Amino acid sequence: MKNKIKVFRAMYDLTQEDLAQAIGVTRQTILAIEKGKYVPSLDLAFRISKYFKVNIEEVFTYDEVTPTVEEKQ
Amino acid sequence: MNMLILHNVQFVYHRGRMKKNTFYLLVGFIAIALLGAFWYSDEIHNPLLIEVAFVAAVIIGYIARRNVTDLIEDERTMKITEKASLRTMQVFWVIFCVFSLGAVMQLLHVPQFPQDFRFDRKPPAFEILPPRLMGYYQLGFLCLMIFLYVGFRVYYARKYGDWETDEE
Repeated sequence: MKNKIKVFRAMYDLTQEDLAQAIGVTRQTILAIEKGKYVPSLDLAFRISKYFKVNIEEVFTYDEVTPTVEEKQ
Repeated sequence: MNMLILHNVQFVYHRGRMKKNTFYLLVGFIAIALLGAFWYSDEIHNPLLIEVAFVAAVIIGYIARRNVTDLIEDERTMKITEKASLRTMQVFWVIFCVFSLGAVMQLLHVPQFPQDFRFDRKPPAFEILPPRLMGYYQLGFLCLMIFLYVGFRVYYARKYGDWETDEE
């Protein structure tokens, strides 16, 4: 799963801490999602995209080639 | 507002609100108090004291935890906790069953079964594990469980990016 959270954060001039506080998660979670270490739940993915006022597929894209965190193990 | 001054360390907490660091300090004090209770319980040879103290400590810790304002628990941290707990149980029950099976074999004298098998054989005497030995085993299992949990927790925290470096 790829995401453009970092791009959207830059567009909105937000730090990871700002975004984390806005959607009610820890800064470490935002960092982990951005780095692809953690795949967020649908609920959290929708919350993030809703915060940026875009559709979910504009922030998250499913990448079949890249193995998920679970598959890597 | 309540205030507690102890050895130049000042804790300030408002009713129903507590900072994360204050909570961690409180947990530290509870742990020290528990150690004291354990020591005193051993001195007076009364296990009830440490048992009651432990239950009280868990209740105080639970209430205090609910009043912490800046401790965020999100789906990632919950997943880490969940996975670490599950793996701990998975490993622990195997080890516990192996030990229990060994104990049952001892109880039934199974290793001597082929040689001693006779119809007129008297049933083996029922042996009860001495309480002192049982205590050591319990302590061992408790330590094992704690180490397993901490180990798995560190592993999953690392896997889900807890110690990722940030370029910001």
